[in-house]
Amino acid sequence: MAIVGVALISAFAAICIQLVRLQVVEAPALSARADHQHHKTKRLPGERGTITDRNGVILAKNMDVPSISVDPTSLGSAKQTARALAQVLPMSRSQVMKRIKSGGRHFSWIYRKGDPTLANQVMDLNLKGVYRIPESRRFYPKGNLMGHILGFSGMDNQGLSGIERAYDNQLKGSEIRFVVERDALGRSVMPIGSRYVRPDHGADIQLTIDEVIQYHVEQQLDLAMKETGALTGTVVVMQPHTGEILAMAVRPDFDPNRIKKYRADRFRNRVISDPFEPGSTMKVFVAGLALESGVVTLDESIYCEKGRMPMRGGAMHDSHPHEQLTFAQVLSKSSNIGTAKVAMRLGKEKLHNGLTRFGFGQPTGLDMPGESSGILPQPDKWSARSLASIAIGQELAVTPLQIVRAASAVANGGWLMKPYVVRWIRQGDETIYTEPQRIRRVLSEDVAARLRQALVAVTEKGGTAPKGAVPGFDVAGKTGTAQKASTTRRGYAKGKYVASFLGMVPADNPALVMLVVLDEPQGRKYYGGSVAAPVFRAISERVLPYLDVQPRTHRTVVLTADAHTTPPPSQGDQPIL
Amino acid sequence: MLAIDRRVFTHMDWRLVFLIGAVLAVGISTIYSVTPQWSRGGTPLYLKQCAWAAVGFGAFSLFAVLDYQRLLGYAHHIFWLALGLLVVVEFLGHVGMGAQRWVQVGGVNVQPSELAKLAVILILARHFSSHVPEEGFYFRELGVPLIYLVLPFVMILRQPDLGSALLVLFVFSMIIIIVGMHRKSLILVTLLAGMGFPFFWEFFWNSLREYQRNRLVTFLNPGSDPLGTGYHVIQSKIAIGAGGVAGQGFLQGSQSQLKFLPEGHTDFIFSVFAEQWGFLGVVVLFLLFSGLLVRGMDIAIKSRDMAGTVLATGIVCMVAFPTIVNLGMTLGVAPVVGVPLPLMSYGGTSLVTTMTGLGILANVHLQRHLSLYR
Repeated sequence: MAIVGVALISAFAAICIQLVRLQVVEAPALSARADHQHHKTKRLPGERGTITDRNGVILAKNMDVPSISVDPTSLGSAKQTARALAQVLPMSRSQVMKRIKSGGRHFSWIYRKGDPTLANQVMDLNLKGVYRIPESRRFYPKGNLMGHILGFSGMDNQGLSGIERAYDNQLKGSEIRFVVERDALGRSVMPIGSRYVRPDHGADIQLTIDEVIQYHVEQQLDLAMKETGALTGTVVVMQPHTGEILAMAVRPDFDPNRIKKYRADRFRNRVISDPFEPGSTMKVFVAGLALESGVVTLDESIYCEKGRMPMRGGAMHDSHPHEQLTFAQVLSKSSNIGTAKVAMRLGKEKLHNGLTRFGFGQPTGLDMPGESSGILPQPDKWSARSLASIAIGQELAVTPLQIVRAASAVANGGWLMKPYVVRWIRQGDETIYTEPQRIRRVLSEDVAARLRQALVAVTEKGGTAPKGAVPGFDVAGKTGTAQKASTTRRGYAKGKYVASFLGMVPADNPALVMLVVLDEPQGRKYYGGSVAAPVFRAISERVLPYLDVQPRTHRTVVLTADAHTTPPPSQGDQPIL
Repeated sequence: MLAIDRRVFTHMDWRLVFLIGAVLAVGISTIYSVTPQWSRGGTPLYLKQCAWAAVGFGAFSLFAVLDYQRLLGYAHHIFWLALGLLVVVEFLGHVGMGAQRWVQVGGVNVQPSELAKLAVILILARHFSSHVPEEGFYFRELGVPLIYLVLPFVMILRQPDLGSALLVLFVFSMIIIIVGMHRKSLILVTLLAGMGFPFFWEFFWNSLREYQRNRLVTFLNPGSDPLGTGYHVIQSKIAIGAGGVAGQGFLQGSQSQLKFLPEGHTDFIFSVFAEQWGFLGVVVLFLLFSGLLVRGMDIAIKSRDMAGTVLATGIVCMVAFPTIVNLGMTLGVAPVVGVPLPLMSYGGTSLVTTMTGLGILANVHLQRHLSLYR
């Protein structure tokens, strides 16, 4: 009997030892292993916020759309299912087969964020193992309009370009992660006691863009593209007192709803990411610097060398020969020689410093991705001709936005502003407005006002851009016609120009500053004054009444800036148009 | 036929009845926790098990009051019936899980191997009640009992039902030890067994099915094939370990609730229990089981005659062996042989057999008291 007892007890003892080992000693490790095999983190993306224009017009919004998925293990027959699906969905049978096999053991996407009627038809087929899953999809109701500003977001709620990308963190909302339990077959089971939590709604964003202005801009730009046959075209409109971007258009354009159709370079926002040699529009800033430093006055007569001035590194030419011109006329007739002579009085350092203060050679700090700083070479790298060249907008590269921002300083009485496209961000009950931000004073109010006044002559008879004149308004403008650098040899390419027009209207207290750039207009008309200025005029004619800007009743020469030209304080009041 | 006098109640081993009832209740609640509470076209398993428990208590009561000496009178009939059924199952049995174990008798599925376990205990008890030499018996006197072992053992192994075959072998060995064998003969038997082992192993190994060999190989190194044969053991160990000291709580326990642990209501019911109730719960369960076995040993020692001692010993071993093998399996210290945990695992045949045995055990206890006061 004792032997039986000993046998049983020793066996029992072995079992107890093992029990203690498992449940006491190794329990934490084994628990962790258990959690590892049945816990699975699921992610629910937040619902992406809405983007509106400054008047609340919806520009980007999420909508519920159906997706079709399958559980490959519960399909009656994968082949038959694929055939049935291919008859309804815009996919081939082999494509469907591929998708069925592409996913996990129990889940594969077949058709994502697609047409609700097609999804309904699929569900009407009553196929085993085929499911409809509601998903959220981004819609851009305005289609191509301001595609470059909005950008687009991908399938998985991630902003890929434009505002969608710049403000992705705010828009996408916080992703919700929760742990579900997974049974041995891989099915998800909500853990006991857990609640379904609604994914966080991302922040809503209101842009400074005005859809109406944007519409006119894009419409006129389209017409000009057609008429001139230009390769690309850009227009930027800025509120000079605040730095708000009112419109920004790029051609060729794209529809953010159908991004798969386009090559990637179509999405580049050329207004901020493509620097170019601006040509004569730079003269505005050179003149501003010269007037500010007192090396010249607008009335001073300057000898313009009859259209040709020899200098080291190559003679400088004017398109029309002139002898004596006042400095104001140098601007209105866009004399290269006259501008270069004044720039030489400034000298290398002052010119370089001044242009840097105007914001060239550095990003403007716009709240959008992909901004280029342009190229403003350091003076120690300049050749003998560089001073003169830079003064007339060569040997440097600037973005359209840089020009418009610098011009806004002229328009608002001397303040360089930080440009922005987001007016406010609203998260829940909290709305955060973007405050206009003055960077620095670059011109005195007096110089800015006189410079604008002088630039009005550009759009008058005898100026380079009478076609930029807007009936009823004084337009302070400047044309630019820059020969494009050759891609094959040193120097400039023959017959390839970038035509541009920079305008501020009304000149005495500009409500908007606009730059129109047309790259390589085809045909005989390629001057900024003849191809870009009319676009400015057409847009202004439509936008100024919309903004309720009063036309002049009688012609007044405003030499000193009045109260209205003072930019609003950088803090406090919310920006107004 | 049965004169049930009041002494049956006063001398019934109520401690034994309580321990049985407690283990049964633990088993049913664990089955309840791990199987669906509803099932399409069927009674929930825990309710079925309740019914089987009732049947089991019926059998227990019947054999508890039936004088085991009268039962021993039928020992030969029962033994040859069991053997006959084993032969029948060899040719006509139902194939379940790759092995032929069942025959239908009057619409009820019966596993003859279960009956054979009791039959071997009964016939050995009868045999040794009349053949007990004072100074232990010699090797040549082992001939007849060996026939009683080998016939059912070989038939059960051929099904193949490794667990039951080993059980019969274990019960036989323990009974031989209890009865007492002459020392010289014991040495001789051990030597013969040692020499015969390779031949036996050859036969044994060849009689195993592929899956049984895999189980033995896997037992030696469970990690070698985590999703194959070793899966059960690994999941079982994870479940038991996840229970920790305090347990995850009744109806909780991710391993069993999420079906990572297969056979949670049958062979691996202990793992489910251990995950839910933890180390503390297991200690209580072990106290119940060991109380049961200690009671049985006590009854065996105090039995009024040799037949009662052999019966009680055999029955204790019949319960203890699968308990130890099952616990060893779920804890990963014994190979995976499909042995249910007595009184806890779901399954009617095993339960009724065990309860019948325990009824006989209770009767051995009862007869001593009845004879004392006769």
